Amino acid sequence: MGNVQMLLRQHVGAPCAAIVKAGDEVKKGTLIATPTGLGANIFSSVYGKVTEVTDDRIIIEPSEEQPDEFVPIDVPEDASKLDMVKAAGVVGLGGAGFPTGIKLNINLAETPMGELDPEINPELPADFKLDCEKGYILINAAECEPGLEHNIRQIEEQCDKVIRGVKYCMEITNADKAIFAIKKKNQKAIKTLQKALESEPAISMHLLPDIYPMGEERAVVRECLGVNLTTMQLPSAAKSVVVNLETAAKIAEAIDEKKPCITKNLTVRGKLNGGNGAHVFMDVPVGTSVGELIERAGGIDGKYGEIVMGGAFTGKSTDFDAPITKTTGGILVTVEFPDLHGANVGLLVCACGGNEDRMREICEKMNGKVVSVARCKQAIENKPGAPLKCLRPGNCPGQVKNNMQFKKDKCEYIIIGNCSDCSNTVMASGPKMGLKVFHQTDHVMRSVGHALYRTLKVSKQVSQDIDF
Amino acid sequence: MSITAETAKAHAHDPAVLCCRAEAGITIEPANLEDPAIFDDLVDSGLLNLDGCLTIEEVLGAKLTKTCDSLAPLTADVLDGVKAPSVSAPAVEEEVAEEAPVAAAPAAAVPVAAGGVLKIHIGEGKDIDLQIPVGALGGGAAVAEVPAAAAVAADAVAPAATVGEEKIVGTLTRKHFNITEVKRGPETKIEGTVLTIREGIEADVIADQELVKDFKLEIITPELYHTYSETVMDVQPIATKEGDSELGSGVTRVLDGVVMMLTGVDEGGVQIGEFGSSEGYLDENIMWGRPGCPDKGEIFIKGNIVIQEKTNMERRGPMAAHTAFDIITQEIREVMKKLDESLVVDTQELKSIRRPGKKKVVIVKEIMGQGAMHDNFILPVEPVGILGARANVDLGNVPVCVSPLEVLDGCIHALTCIGPASKEMSRHYWREPLVLEALHDEEVDLCGVIFVGSPQINAEKFYVSRRVGHTVEMLDADGAFVTTEGFGNNHIDFASHIEQIGMRGVPTVGMSYCAVQGALVVGNKYMQYMVDNNKSEAGIENEILGNNTLCPEDAVRALAMLKAAMAGEDVKAAEKKWNPNVKSTNVELIEGAYGTKIDLVGNEQELPMSEKRRLKYS
Repeated sequence: MGNVQMLLRQHVGAPCAAIVKAGDEVKKGTLIATPTGLGANIFSSVYGKVTEVTDDRIIIEPSEEQPDEFVPIDVPEDASKLDMVKAAGVVGLGGAGFPTGIKLNINLAETPMGELDPEINPELPADFKLDCEKGYILINAAECEPGLEHNIRQIEEQCDKVIRGVKYCMEITNADKAIFAIKKKNQKAIKTLQKALESEPAISMHLLPDIYPMGEERAVVRECLGVNLTTMQLPSAAKSVVVNLETAAKIAEAIDEKKPCITKNLTVRGKLNGGNGAHVFMDVPVGTSVGELIERAGGIDGKYGEIVMGGAFTGKSTDFDAPITKTTGGILVTVEFPDLHGANVGLLVCACGGNEDRMREICEKMNGKVVSVARCKQAIENKPGAPLKCLRPGNCPGQVKNNMQFKKDKCEYIIIGNCSDCSNTVMASGPKMGLKVFHQTDHVMRSVGHALYRTLKVSKQVSQDIDF
Repeated sequence: MSITAETAKAHAHDPAVLCCRAEAGITIEPANLEDPAIFDDLVDSGLLNLDGCLTIEEVLGAKLTKTCDSLAPLTADVLDGVKAPSVSAPAVEEEVAEEAPVAAAPAAAVPVAAGGVLKIHIGEGKDIDLQIPVGALGGGAAVAEVPAAAAVAADAVAPAATVGEEKIVGTLTRKHFNITEVKRGPETKIEGTVLTIREGIEADVIADQELVKDFKLEIITPELYHTYSETVMDVQPIATKEGDSELGSGVTRVLDGVVMMLTGVDEGGVQIGEFGSSEGYLDENIMWGRPGCPDKGEIFIKGNIVIQEKTNMERRGPMAAHTAFDIITQEIREVMKKLDESLVVDTQELKSIRRPGKKKVVIVKEIMGQGAMHDNFILPVEPVGILGARANVDLGNVPVCVSPLEVLDGCIHALTCIGPASKEMSRHYWREPLVLEALHDEEVDLCGVIFVGSPQINAEKFYVSRRVGHTVEMLDADGAFVTTEGFGNNHIDFASHIEQIGMRGVPTVGMSYCAVQGALVVGNKYMQYMVDNNKSEAGIENEILGNNTLCPEDAVRALAMLKAAMAGEDVKAAEKKWNPNVKSTNVELIEGAYGTKIDLVGNEQELPMSEKRRLKYS
């Protein structure tokens, strides 16, 4: 295998500081960088030798032999479970990368319910109460980015480990209930969970419709508990902690095996030799290059548009040399972009898709000229420059006004990054106004064989019956 | 875009349209609804059909029985639990898009039964001061519980202020002489009711100005109304000052039954003001009875001037025409000065009345000053004369303050131009409806009139509008009117005047022809109170002289709207598209509130259809 690159920033917070130098021998699980502020420990994911330490990464040349054994995390005998999670460098593996040891450092039993904004909770009765004594762990198993399959695969294959992790989370945070939020379309995983949860009365499932987004943190809270949070509120306002299922499994490994967070599950997919089916790779060493994983999946089939790291909505373009991190969930190779021959393009930026820079990049790759930029009314910038957050994820606020702007600005095409519901609304007026609509995920959807995001054909409600 | 509960309330009577796809079973809430503000555009572009659409107040809380997509109008067949509509609250509505019209009139009043004795009912009123000896209430019983609704009345009762006394600051006497026949003769004279104009006076007119190449005088009696004419450049009263009287005071003598009418072309036969001119048969192109127009039955002393080729769109051409034509009027004026008092058929006394304590209002009249043929002579010695006047353009278009009586005494000699339907002829000022209404309205204190020119260049427009703002600020006015003539270019400074006044906290009613063709090209947040002077059926400038100029019915609406604005009442925002019903609703509201009948003037539909109008405007 090629060199492994361990980025010093693989999480929300400040970059870690390297504690190794060029020439040092490392093993799987050797601590190589520690937090300088908000952050999480970083461990070597391979056996080998440090060849270079730069400002943003540690480069390791792997040994020929890569035994399964690893260096267990260095914690005292009487370390608490929370300390073990912290020491193992676990972060939110769903993509956000928030240090899990900090997220779980909450006593839900003593956390008061936050104040709910009546404007976005019109149907909530005045005496609304959550159906729990202390609090909830909500397990995000939505795997919402289209085309990715490694989360659901893990439920199917490692259900016990995931459930163990969930129970540890409940114990650490004093939660008395847990709910798996999973899309109803994942029938096999649901059956597996159903069986496993027979003996777990405190843990249940909430079935989600197959629309985007369902995995957004506040969408999970809303779907499971019926509570809409503002963009400033954390799930703790609903006495909850949301944990990705892969993170839960990593928590179990940290506590049961004292295993540091050094591997990642991911999906490689797209315009690859052998077809566009998903290649799910479990326990890939963090720091492995994108190119190596694409080769493992069969290699690129001819010409391609771009390589996306992460999901189609929230991912970014990347290249062969880039390493994967603790938060990488997908590597998607896309078909070529259409050529708009310099036509006028409007961008509809929202919280669900890429930011304006990413939208502009896609427009440039399509050879369009950005003449108008609108932002979905619900995309809130909590602080200047902060990533946009959607006020009511998956529930459209109306888009016709934006289309009117695009029309006025003489756009021929528009590129939208909206969720299923908002895309549907854009389609209700855009084409009639003579606007040709692209979605920022189109090239990825074509590459993975997924329907394009245009009109909404399924209900936003699904029955909670396991009727299959 | 979805709306808030607040917006939903404000638009309770507007159509309810889903902003996004909504699934069967949901309860309709504001977040499901599209903002009605954009419906006009959507309907125009065919994206929306509001037939059968329920209103927002009807659908809120109802249950959707069928999944509907974005932009679906909510109708009874897809809802359960639709509420009954309430009666729409009568608020006056702005008439011009970006601006819109009249605020609701009347503050109802409050019967106060303190000890069963005192009853106060104020049908309509603002700033009413009442002095009531406390003893009269039987030992100082509380004066009243004034319901909040009658905020105005409350103001009045609270502080015991002195009653403001009306103060007459000026008078102007108009002595009317009747003319029943106009003929030519060896000398200019008036005998009884017969006016004779000297034969050969035409040569004097031609000789007076180098640019005047030809001149013809016609006497148009009612039997000759169906006479072809070049474009009407001006309609003027024939009036003169008596003795040493200055314009706007003392005595003015005026001839009834006859007006001066100036028409003209250039040597090449091009209309002065071609591209929006009123040439044609007089009876097909004059809107009778408009303040600036002849009244039906009047005799026109009609002078047709031919000016040097290509000076028709230069300033010097029309100026020469007006100056030369005034030779005739001046000769008549000289005769009038000597007329025996016994010929006076009517004497009218106009009073400039100040009403201290009432809401102080000022009228800002924007007049054309772009140069070329757009100019006005301000403050001549004689009513609508030439001598002594300064050209607006030469004054730099800056605001000039005049008294209401100066306006009514002909202080503006108008050099009107393109767009005859919305331009104010000299006679308009002589009978200016807004000045008259405001002067006579006992609820307001008209402090004066400010004329401001409309320069050609934007930088100059803002130069003069800032002067207007400061002037109004110095006046400590409670409210202002800004009127304009024409449309388009002048709307830039019109909007800026309103902004400059509005930003100083003074509610400002704007008056302009707008409707369809004259829709505002600019706007700002202070343009909340707008009255549309349009009268034309189609909302257009149809080259009918005076058709869309400010009339008494417009003045009444503007006053009602300004009073409402000054009282802090809501004036509904204008509809995006011109809707003539807004005006009629406002008129009805005002009639209801004041218990008066407002007679509306007619429009071009009453005139015989000219060939030009048939071809160009129908």
